[in-house]
Amino acid sequence: MVRVRSPQDLGAGAVFVTIGAAGLYFGQDLAFGSSARMGPGYFPTILSYLIIAIGLVLAVKSLATDGPPIERFSFRPLFAILAAILAFGFLIERIGLALTAAVLTVGSAYARRDVNLKETLLLAAGLALFVVGVFVYGLTQPLPAWWGR
Amino acid sequence: MDFGFLQNLATGFGAALSFNNLGFALMGCLLGTLIGVLPGIGPIPTIAMLLPITFGLDPLSSLIMLAGIYYGAQYGGSTTSILVNIPGEASSIVTCIDGHQMAKQGRAGVALGVAALGSFFAGCVGTVFIAAFGPPLASIAQEFNAPENFSLMLLGLVTAVVLAHGSVIKAIGMVLVGLLFGLVGTDVNSGLTRYTFGVSELWDGIDFLPLVIGMFGIVEIVRNLERGTLPRAQIYTGLRELWPSVQDFKDSWRAVLRGTGLGSILGILPGGGAVLAAFASYTVEKKLAADPSRFGKGAIEGVAGPESANNAAAQTSFIPLLTLGLPSNAIMALMMGAMIIHGIQPGSAVMTKRPDLFWGMVASMWIGNLMLLVINFPLIGIWVRLLSVPYRLLYPAILLFCVIGIYATNTNIAQLVMTAVFALFGYILVKFECEPAPLVLGFILGPLMEENLRRALVISRGDPKIFLESWISIVLLALTVLVIVLIVLPQIRKSREQAFQE
Repeated sequence: MVRVRSPQDLGAGAVFVTIGAAGLYFGQDLAFGSSARMGPGYFPTILSYLIIAIGLVLAVKSLATDGPPIERFSFRPLFAILAAILAFGFLIERIGLALTAAVLTVGSAYARRDVNLKETLLLAAGLALFVVGVFVYGLTQPLPAWWGR
Repeated sequence: MDFGFLQNLATGFGAALSFNNLGFALMGCLLGTLIGVLPGIGPIPTIAMLLPITFGLDPLSSLIMLAGIYYGAQYGGSTTSILVNIPGEASSIVTCIDGHQMAKQGRAGVALGVAALGSFFAGCVGTVFIAAFGPPLASIAQEFNAPENFSLMLLGLVTAVVLAHGSVIKAIGMVLVGLLFGLVGTDVNSGLTRYTFGVSELWDGIDFLPLVIGMFGIVEIVRNLERGTLPRAQIYTGLRELWPSVQDFKDSWRAVLRGTGLGSILGILPGGGAVLAAFASYTVEKKLAADPSRFGKGAIEGVAGPESANNAAAQTSFIPLLTLGLPSNAIMALMMGAMIIHGIQPGSAVMTKRPDLFWGMVASMWIGNLMLLVINFPLIGIWVRLLSVPYRLLYPAILLFCVIGIYATNTNIAQLVMTAVFALFGYILVKFECEPAPLVLGFILGPLMEENLRRALVISRGDPKIFLESWISIVLLALTVLVIVLIVLPQIRKSREQAFQE
């Protein structure tokens, strides 16, 4: 039975091998050419093989040497923040910056567990006013302040 | 020695001293310090977040502002290190050691004052360094053709990998992935699109902002949140006296001089920069001290030396970027990205074709340092109050600014989706202890490396011996091999690990 002694290295190795393999797979239609006339696939193919090689070295290393365990993934902050970013993109043209900013603030606040709703709403209102004032009216960025402009 | 550079500096000051540019330098320093002082946000995320606001300006103003942001962020990081013992990034880890002890002894003000004065002195010397060594280096760089350029980039990337902390193998992997990411988009030679997956937003390549803000800014926020409660600032007394006493001056001036010297030299090395300089300076001060046991207990030299060193290095690390077009670390890669967005390809051509830009920037570095000194003494109280704002109120605001910054640059929702993707990718990599900084270097250099390799091999009809036909290229490759040998030798690896642990 093979024992993984350095999980972080194995994880990194897996990421690299995946990226390298993807580089080869999605680059297979690009002409490799020759050294004298490098095609669009020449450099990417070489890089992909090197990345796979690095990944394999890490995988072997993970079996041979001891390393620290992988730190736990915290899904709550990660997904709350990512969702807030995507929500901003979805909402900005629809309801304008003021409301979107408030939604983002409240949404991202739920990246933490103990949310004080009253405080968060105050913060959301304050930030919404601030960014509309600064970005829309101050810096005249191309952002709608309200829905329907 | 040719004193023509003084003449050039005068031109530069002429360009940088316009009312507008002074204003942008001031704004950059203020904003940089403002964000940099927030606990847990180092210079790289700070610059990444503030990049978008400089895009609307003309190239010189935008570079001046960016440089201001950089110095501000660095100084802000030192403030956090001294007052709260949270280093914003690796280069201020050493400042924490004695700086925070000084703060505990009620000498926070003196520590901040010495850091500011030392940094200012180092900044002045660093600026002269750039002015004196920039032109000769650039004239060497003019001799460079495709083979030399390729060898130079190879050397730069390999050295950067060795000096990055963490695993060397992972850093190499990250550089390679960065190079590959850099190739996404339309191939300039064949006109074919590569790795675009039918997404038209990728035809021009992966955008720089979503990549850096996602991998640095957003990941930083998530990391801080999962660590739970960040320690709140404990404000110790003694902030009122910022000006060091005569005794403090006596204790620290040598450290400042040595730190400045070390930093100026180490900053030029590819991959060197502020981190290495600060570590080296601390080690030297401790070795030279009459009583090394004071270190770690609030020795003023332990603040003065590293702070001068990291600022000197912050200056001189612009040299390879501005003269050779080679970013020596991730921050310089950010600067290069910003220059490219403005249509400037950094390298020796900037100095000959846009002397106002080069010298204006050099002059603005000195102005930026002066401004830091001027704004930090009166404003330190505000930064301290800012430090005590709880993180739960700060991070939604930071996130909001990041997102608005990305969206406002071209009002394309795809940018936000990409930011989220890169944040997720960066978060996974961090869990596997892969530092994102080498990836950014590779990303910036990817297209350049491919183009130079292609040109070199076209000239030689595919014969790789072309890389051994000019002495410049031979020297660069020999240095690359030397660096690789040094990593492989286990003894050196051990001492490198020790240096980073200290």
